[in-house]
Amino acid sequence: MSNAYLSVEGQPGKLLVRVRNDWIFDNVLALEEATATVLPEAGQEVTFQCAGLQDIDIAGAWVLYDCSGRLSSMGIKSEFTGFKAAHFKFLQHIIDAAAIREYEQPPEQAERPNRLREAVEDIGRVTSSNIEDLGEIARVILDGVRRPSLIIIGETIKQIYQTGVQAIPVVMVITFLIGIVTAHQASGQLEKFGAIVLVVDLVSISITREMGVLLAAIMVAGRSGSAFAAALGVMKLNEEVDAMRVLGLNPNQMLVIPRVLGLMIALPVLTIFADIAGIAGGALIAIGTLGIGGMQFIERVAYSTDLADFYVGLVKAPVFALLIATIATLRGMQVKSSAEELGLKTTMAVVQSIFMIIVADAFFATLFTRMGI
Amino acid sequence: MEHIITVKNLVNRFGDQVVHDGLSLDVRRDEILGVVGGSGSGKSVLMRSILGLQKPSSGFITVMGQKIEYNKPGPSRCWGVLFQGGALLSGLNVQENVELPIALHSDMPVETRHELASLKLLMVGLSLSVADKYPSELSGGMRKRVSLARALALEPKILFLDEPTAGLDPIAATAFDELITYLHDNLDLTIMMITHDVDSLFGICNRIAVLVDGGIVVGTTQEILDSEHPWIESYFGVPRAQRAFEAAGEAHNG
Repeated sequence: MSNAYLSVEGQPGKLLVRVRNDWIFDNVLALEEATATVLPEAGQEVTFQCAGLQDIDIAGAWVLYDCSGRLSSMGIKSEFTGFKAAHFKFLQHIIDAAAIREYEQPPEQAERPNRLREAVEDIGRVTSSNIEDLGEIARVILDGVRRPSLIIIGETIKQIYQTGVQAIPVVMVITFLIGIVTAHQASGQLEKFGAIVLVVDLVSISITREMGVLLAAIMVAGRSGSAFAAALGVMKLNEEVDAMRVLGLNPNQMLVIPRVLGLMIALPVLTIFADIAGIAGGALIAIGTLGIGGMQFIERVAYSTDLADFYVGLVKAPVFALLIATIATLRGMQVKSSAEELGLKTTMAVVQSIFMIIVADAFFATLFTRMGI
Repeated sequence: MEHIITVKNLVNRFGDQVVHDGLSLDVRRDEILGVVGGSGSGKSVLMRSILGLQKPSSGFITVMGQKIEYNKPGPSRCWGVLFQGGALLSGLNVQENVELPIALHSDMPVETRHELASLKLLMVGLSLSVADKYPSELSGGMRKRVSLARALALEPKILFLDEPTAGLDPIAATAFDELITYLHDNLDLTIMMITHDVDSLFGICNRIAVLVDGGIVVGTTQEILDSEHPWIESYFGVPRAQRAFEAAGEAHNG
């Protein structure tokens, strides 16, 4: 039998395989199919006659070598003849490489996985890494404030600008829209009781106590949390953090503290803007479509919402800011080696800071209810 | 003599700064061409232009007869590139990094692909125990070898090397030079190599291209040393270069 790459001639006790054409990378699939047809009868020896070979490369030579290897594992001897020197060196590579591989230890058999044990170990690992993270945050902050210095003021102001001032438009737009949504939803329900004016109470209380600060914090977590983690992560990858350390600069002081401080100043201010925009959104619907007068709206806001409600919202802002900034900078600083890790840590920074914001918010809600505020 | 890479009247301009001003270069089949030049003389820009990673201000480049256009798929089956830092994909392990080009450019079965990738790793002198390591766990020299294995994965005809021995200790650098010579002798490769390492320049390059004054001076080692251009004289006039040249001469004669 024969095909484009080889022809097989049977002789008594011997099989002559004539190898021809291009045994190159592009043809590997066809070559493998061709060599699979070389099946000698028992007791035969195989000779590969390679004089007709046009071109060969490492991939082609490997297929040839692999074929002879499979024959020898079946106890059949094979040999190569008629190689041109220029072609044989490719085969020689494979033979050399195979010799090296003989020396190498076979990989150890992996232990059978024990699901339960792995699950328990995972829980332990996550718990201990979270405790470690907490300690790391405390250590970094203590380290950063150990020798207070005024150099961080400039960086802090820059952070306030980037995380606060630049976020004002987007935070105001989303809380304005949420104000509109809340007013619409509330009006549908309260209309049934003829208490349409209570829409104002509902909007102003929910925005000042919860929605304003929560939306601002989530927006900032997405915007600045990712920026913190990515910026510090790249600085770690570029060895900038190490460079700062050997220059005698404290990276915790220079990088972490300004971000934490900046955000703790910026987020309460953003919350005030968010409250204003949210109530404005409610006002648009109340005055525009529900027939509540402008003065009536203001009176109703003043009557229903006192400063305590406003403070309940505002007091949460620095806590949320602290959570976002510490989680994001910690994750950024944990980047060690690869771009992949940078992406992973940035994702963790955003997801975990939003998660912690909601957890903290639930805690505050319970606390304030118990306190009767 | 056949020209495997042809660069004609290449001009590269960045703002007011002219890096290449009508540069022309032919790379011959089966040679090792060393490219040298001062900082900012456009060595990397030249290589990036040839690879289609950089849009030249004007000029004409062909590789293996195919015209190179910016951001268009070039003859990626015929060339392998070793970037300066290795440029291994950090999310993939060593084995996967070497297998990736094979997987992209052929439909061969997984085991064959796996075997070929292992073979390339062994060829560049790596132990297979590194196969499941990630690039971040490797030393600089190993990363370069893995990157070389990846560059060789598709059996290229041309190999581009960007400072292959930079950042390696002298022993590792010598070993890398030997590896490149070995691969060149055995795999019918044409190699274009940017290097500042005068040992590899004199030791393994057939011709040297010097980038000066926006143009290029190409010649054999002796021709370049005889050149009277002031920059070339000062570059090869330093004691390090002289010693390397003498050492290379002794190695050739002895």
